[in-house]
Amino acid sequence: MADPTGLVFNVQRFSIHDGPGIRTTAFLKGCPLRCFWCHNPEGVYPRLEVQFHSSRCIGCGECARICPQGAQELLPSGERVYHRERCITCGECVEACFAESLQITGREVSVSGLLREILADRVFYETSGGGLTLSGGEPMLQPEFSLALLAACKAEGLQTAIESTLLCRWELIEAALPLTDLFMVDIKHLDDARHRAATGVSNRPILENIARLARTGKPVIFRTPVVPGVNDTPAEVGAIAAFISGLALGRPGGLKGLSYELLAFHRLAEEKYHSLGLEYPAAELIPPSKEQMAALLEAASAHLTAVRGR
Amino acid sequence: MEPPAPLTYSDRLDALRAAKLAQTAEKQALLGAMDHDDWGLILPPPERRKVVRTLSSSGMPITDCTLEGYEPVPNHPSGGFFGPRAAGENFRRLLDAHPVYLDPLSSLAGGYMVNFMSYRKPHWNPDLSAGEFAAEIERYRLLPGIGATQHFCQDLQIGLELGWGGLLKKIRHYRWLNAPRGEDFYAGLEAVVLGVQGWIARHAAEAARLAESEPDAALRLNLEEIAAINARLVNEPPRTFREACQWILWFQVTARMYNGSGSLGRLDVLLQPFYQRDLAAGVLDDEEAVFHIACLLLRDTAYIQLGGPDAAGNDQTGPLSFLVLEAGHRLRIPANVGVCVGENTDPRLLRRAVEIQFADRAGYPKFLGIDRTAQGFARLGYPIELGRQRAYSGCHWSAIPGREYTLNDCVKINFARIFEVAFDEMLADTASQPSTAALLQRYTAHLERAIEVTARCIGFHLEHMHAVFPELVLDLACHGPIELGEDASHGGVEFYNLCIDGAALATVADSFAALEQRVEQEGRLTWQEVQAHLRANWAGPEGERARLMLKSVPRYGSGGSRADEYAIGLARIFAERVAGARTPQGCRLVPGLFSWANTIPMGQDVGATPNGRFAHDPISHGANPDPGFRQDGAPTALAAAIAAVQPGYGNTAPMQIELDPTITREEGGVEVVESLIRTHFLLGGTQINLNVMDAEKVLAAHRDPTLYPDLIVRVTGFSAYFASLSPRFRQLVVDRIISGA
Repeated sequence: MADPTGLVFNVQRFSIHDGPGIRTTAFLKGCPLRCFWCHNPEGVYPRLEVQFHSSRCIGCGECARICPQGAQELLPSGERVYHRERCITCGECVEACFAESLQITGREVSVSGLLREILADRVFYETSGGGLTLSGGEPMLQPEFSLALLAACKAEGLQTAIESTLLCRWELIEAALPLTDLFMVDIKHLDDARHRAATGVSNRPILENIARLARTGKPVIFRTPVVPGVNDTPAEVGAIAAFISGLALGRPGGLKGLSYELLAFHRLAEEKYHSLGLEYPAAELIPPSKEQMAALLEAASAHLTAVRGR
Repeated sequence: MEPPAPLTYSDRLDALRAAKLAQTAEKQALLGAMDHDDWGLILPPPERRKVVRTLSSSGMPITDCTLEGYEPVPNHPSGGFFGPRAAGENFRRLLDAHPVYLDPLSSLAGGYMVNFMSYRKPHWNPDLSAGEFAAEIERYRLLPGIGATQHFCQDLQIGLELGWGGLLKKIRHYRWLNAPRGEDFYAGLEAVVLGVQGWIARHAAEAARLAESEPDAALRLNLEEIAAINARLVNEPPRTFREACQWILWFQVTARMYNGSGSLGRLDVLLQPFYQRDLAAGVLDDEEAVFHIACLLLRDTAYIQLGGPDAAGNDQTGPLSFLVLEAGHRLRIPANVGVCVGENTDPRLLRRAVEIQFADRAGYPKFLGIDRTAQGFARLGYPIELGRQRAYSGCHWSAIPGREYTLNDCVKINFARIFEVAFDEMLADTASQPSTAALLQRYTAHLERAIEVTARCIGFHLEHMHAVFPELVLDLACHGPIELGEDASHGGVEFYNLCIDGAALATVADSFAALEQRVEQEGRLTWQEVQAHLRANWAGPEGERARLMLKSVPRYGSGGSRADEYAIGLARIFAERVAGARTPQGCRLVPGLFSWANTIPMGQDVGATPNGRFAHDPISHGANPDPGFRQDGAPTALAAAIAAVQPGYGNTAPMQIELDPTITREEGGVEVVESLIRTHFLLGGTQINLNVMDAEKVLAAHRDPTLYPDLIVRVTGFSAYFASLSPRFRQLVVDRIISGA
């Protein structure tokens, strides 16, 4: 039987923020959006990458000795330099780095292999009503793998959820529908120009897919990452909530099964950017205050009852 | 002017808590770090304080405060006092010298200020030599239990029925019946009861005296009630709920003062008849009941079980289970209350317990896998009814109230030291080729020898302890010692199931896995290189690289790794060998996995280990994987790993778990934690110590403990004020919590 492989950058057990109960979240690598504040920069590109955590380096020089490309260098001063442009991501330096200063982000896994990891917590899913969440990146950038994994989980009787940008062909979402109990979908902005500016892509195909998804009657948790200067005004959040409320029309069961979460931007990803050799574009942003989040929740609550913040 | 509103129970608890915090600050200033259970000890008045270095009742060196003006009378050239008569009479003199403690805001009188154990110098009678075991105790750095006290559970029901007067009568009856046998023992018991009676009577008198000058009418009434209750309790058994709380408190502080006993057992079951009677008579409501229980918990951090089955398996969870839980919640001081979680246990108890964990973030309460421990006990060959009767009453342990002598938590084998002996022996044997298989064989042989030596040491203890320092307080509320004229440590009770705990499981499992992968499979290091690095304590850049190389193999807890397999194998070898061994008297030995607060001293006994641990650093905590065992630190992985290494004979291998407080804000967070707890027990787990802790707050408190004087953490089986712990001990807790977050 075919056993497709996929590229994941993290498999997190006891995941409790991405759907009900105790879950395992598999994060797939590669994303069609380029949100400048992204909390998971290691999930953006669909390829293996080397992360260099300079603070963990013990200066043993083993990586420099072993690198066939001369990408790793230990200067006489003791300073370690990583010439990323020379790197072919062969991973030999990572193998030799016991300080875990160099790490490969991205792992090729088969559906059957990942399923084994997921099933390690089966009993916890059963007692808590949890299961698998596919997240990313964007799971639908690896559709064959994602659909096969969802099918394999369903065959095992697990609850499944997808966290998706919905920036993909509708046919893929349609194929996922019978295999998925819950969708989690971001709405970053309703204004297309603002959406493009913040994420690099138009929101039109996303909103179209959202509308179609809502009409299927599937439970959906909509989420807005509240990012300063992007979407952090009551008017913007209120508009999104009103949009969600409007989805009830033409949906079996109306608003039932639709909810909305506001997730506050945070700066915990900064080190990850540096480890990937990237500038941190959100360096100037200040996470929204509790008061601000409360005001936004209130704005959303004017249109929806199932609203929560985090 | 309008008179001030009378104080509510809530006001009174706030004031009592504030007083407790002030007393704790005073203790911290006088005694320094206290790496143990908070206890409820109150310092003596300033003019009567004498600071000494001594051993705690758990055998740890501590700084303690004794009472100026009291010295025990020795009966031995060593300067010590030994035997029941000397112990009883000296204890009575201490009770006579002990100051009265009354807080007019509390509904209960009494509080203890001194540990009798701190006067026992030497602890062991030098005439009774355990010299034949000395070399091997030293070689394996065993904690063999010789001279250990308490750590079993009395049956308070006996005392609640008889009262102190009834106990005295019972002693005198059997003293007459068995004469002249047990003469010294009975003299010792009598002295204890007489001492307690005098102590209570002095409180009654003092309460009456204070009442006369108390301006506040409500507090005056309270003091008058305390006076009347205690005047009665000098002789009579308790009749009301409040009297029962007061009686239990007297027993508890007496036992605590005598030799550190913190075993209380099933408080909800014990108080149930008093509660129902008072409720029916209309003289008690739930608010008042909670207040009396809180006043009891305030004065002693006793170990208490809530809910759980009776002998027949019927759940005993009742309204009082919830009220005791509530009392600890309202009090918000260190408390050691365990909530039963079982197939038939009322699920609302677990729900409320998790809600309180979320609300208080004080490591309160803990969780008991009652079905597993009862079933495990039955594997020793006992009927399961007996297993169900074992009551949770100490850090990680249970015992049948009044019928079982256990030395629970007192006897430890440090796997890391056994490993070190085996490793050095293998490398010294130039005739044989080193391998992990050969190492495991040698390790097992040394472990077997360590168990054998420990069993003989326990036998030695059982033979002599009664003549050194008998269990004069716990004996009073046991079935047998008074009747037979024999101390509980010497045949006075029905069952002898002696604990042997293993420690450093993760340290050793990870060491085996590291050697297998890096030396045997990958050939990155030779055995001799590893040994050289261990001896040099990983010195130099090469040493550090080797250390990180060995440390970075998949560890116990990661799930399905070789280290996980080693942990399961090592735990099984230990459990089977212990369960198969006997003391020379033929007593059973029961395996557990628990290091208690000994992770630091046990670590000091061991050089560097191949899991990348530095020489003399702490060993791993109980049955837990080391912090950082997985990148995601998944509690499910932790729960599955620890469930898989359970010894399985009724004694526990607790899971110590730290959860990030973000879970409290998650919709369904309570249910998730409930599910985690239930599933751990379903998989075979036996006990859970949980902290829901804000890592930032703990880090700030570590830097400056004065910032959060009321921060409480569940250190291990016990909880304590974080500020009371030594920096080194705080670091251990911080490492765990950071890793959990």
